[in-house]
Amino acid sequence: MPVLPAVALAIVLHFGILLAATLLPRLFDRRAPPRKPIIAHLVALGRPRDPRLLPRKESPPPAAASKAAVPIPSTAAPAAPRKPEPTRSELMERALARAAGKSDAESREPPDPERAGSATGSAAGTAATPEEGDAYFTAVHDAILEHYVVPSVISERERLYLAASIVAWIGSDGRILRYELQKKSGNAFFDQALERAIQQTKLPAPPPEMARALRDNGVVLNFRP
Amino acid sequence: MMLAAVDRPVIDLSGGRIQPLPLAIPAPLGSREAGAAVQAALAQDFERSGLFRLLDPQSFLGDTGESLTNVNYREWQTVGAQALVKMSCEPPATEVKCDMRLYDVARGQELLHGTYTAPRQALRLAAHRFGDDVVRFFTREPGVFQTRIAWVRESETGKQVMVSDWDGFGPQALTGASINLLPSWSPDGKIVAFTSFRNGDGAHLYAVEVASRQLRPLILLGDFATGASYSPDGARLLFSSSQNDNTDVYVAQFDGSGVRRVTDARGIDISASWSPDGKRIAFVSERAGTPQIYSMTVEGSDVRRLTFQGNYNQEPAWSPKGDLIAFSGRDEHRVFDLYTVAVDGGKVTRLTQNQGTNEKPAWAPNGRYLLFSSTRSGKRQIWMSQPDGSNQRQVTSEKTGASDPAWGPLPAK
Repeated sequence: MPVLPAVALAIVLHFGILLAATLLPRLFDRRAPPRKPIIAHLVALGRPRDPRLLPRKESPPPAAASKAAVPIPSTAAPAAPRKPEPTRSELMERALARAAGKSDAESREPPDPERAGSATGSAAGTAATPEEGDAYFTAVHDAILEHYVVPSVISERERLYLAASIVAWIGSDGRILRYELQKKSGNAFFDQALERAIQQTKLPAPPPEMARALRDNGVVLNFRP
Repeated sequence: MMLAAVDRPVIDLSGGRIQPLPLAIPAPLGSREAGAAVQAALAQDFERSGLFRLLDPQSFLGDTGESLTNVNYREWQTVGAQALVKMSCEPPATEVKCDMRLYDVARGQELLHGTYTAPRQALRLAAHRFGDDVVRFFTREPGVFQTRIAWVRESETGKQVMVSDWDGFGPQALTGASINLLPSWSPDGKIVAFTSFRNGDGAHLYAVEVASRQLRPLILLGDFATGASYSPDGARLLFSSSQNDNTDVYVAQFDGSGVRRVTDARGIDISASWSPDGKRIAFVSERAGTPQIYSMTVEGSDVRRLTFQGNYNQEPAWSPKGDLIAFSGRDEHRVFDLYTVAVDGGKVTRLTQNQGTNEKPAWAPNGRYLLFSSTRSGKRQIWMSQPDGSNQRQVTSEKTGASDPAWGPLPAK
């Protein structure tokens, strides 16, 4: 066998093996898509509403504002503060307490008989339909949502396409160590509102098995109005 | 900064609470007389709009020595302001002149400024004009602070068509106190058409010129013609009339000529309202046994039933944005409340509940608000709301009641 072709063949084969070793992992070892935790909420206790009837409002009607409500100097004294509606996290805490047999007096109040929900739902439920979920990320979602305010000066039309992303790094005690606006929305007042929400949010401590990843890598928060 | 590609969980958040933007209006500089009047009108406009939450001036820091253009943004941030309005008005002569400015407190920027003038007798106009500019700046949509509304003053002697500013200020009578109902604005804001029993021979349509109060008959068809509605281009007029014991929807030219019937189903067809493009109409029909909301082309074809919930739905009003039709419906407790139905998909949303009887919805020309009549405060009065039912506010305070609101057009540019 001539020596030269044999050497050339060996070189080609070696080169092919090296190329395959370099490229094949890139083709088949792609990064997994980002994990999107499923957010879950308790289903409200109630009766399914007769679909032939006109709907009920989903929340109590807003209190009527008086004609003299504009705070000009020397106007009347402010009205007595109303008892605030329970927050979403308070409702969740009550539900957890109820599950543990520690329900408070308020959670034992009779439910609104006309409230939409499920006959097997919870008095502290907040959702009309059942979902599955990831407990910690649901808590993160709900804690941020509590402070997530969209300024009403942003028009409905603009709300349809506004979107922004923030990366937040969470400490083992639940503190948001830092955050970065990864993708701006294009509306300064919307972006300011998101930053305010992050600054005001207090998160629960993550489970030990998630703590390191949340501290080192963070979590992406995609906001839409 | 580019973030390194690392594997991160992703949480999608939507459904943030829609809340008014905290805004501060400190005491005006310059003339106190003019400044106070303009500031009060502007504060009321902003507060009623639902777009802004005015911060209590008592929470403001003391004299900071600020001028119109020298702003201590950090101190305004401390009191919670996200936007700031400053103004300086000259002492009023025949007209008032105010320099008015809007600032973004968080970014420390001036966003808007201009000089606004108004006749001394109508100082509010300066506030309305600046307010509309601020609304347009933020929402990219026109504001309604310079618009006018029509409504009916109810008394023991009759019903009178009135006009006032959008917030009920400065009511003026357009008609006498016979029985006059259901006012409807022409798109140029110069004419108000209405239904009247003035001649004692049934109900007919009349038109009154707003500036001169000059009245003329519009439709004298049969012994019952009611519910005029001008097309968005002002060329045509919808109304309902009874002929041969059947009430139908008719269309005519804007001056009442060329009358043509557009519905011919058995039972009552009434309360027609134009779509914003003038191609379709919404109306109430009993053709399926109970009053429900339908739509069809203005030629009478392509009839679609829009409401299937409830057994008494009436008074449709098509949103200027075209996506919703507001109506009043009777619920299972036999009370009328306001609802909207999505033109595409038919989703019905309730706007009022457990607050008396609520009827006669009428859209603002920018689609951001609805006027309606409500008995929640005793006598029937005009109220306003946002299309989701939030920010409900009383507009009229008539001793004997008010009803049948109609929102006038945006002012000509």
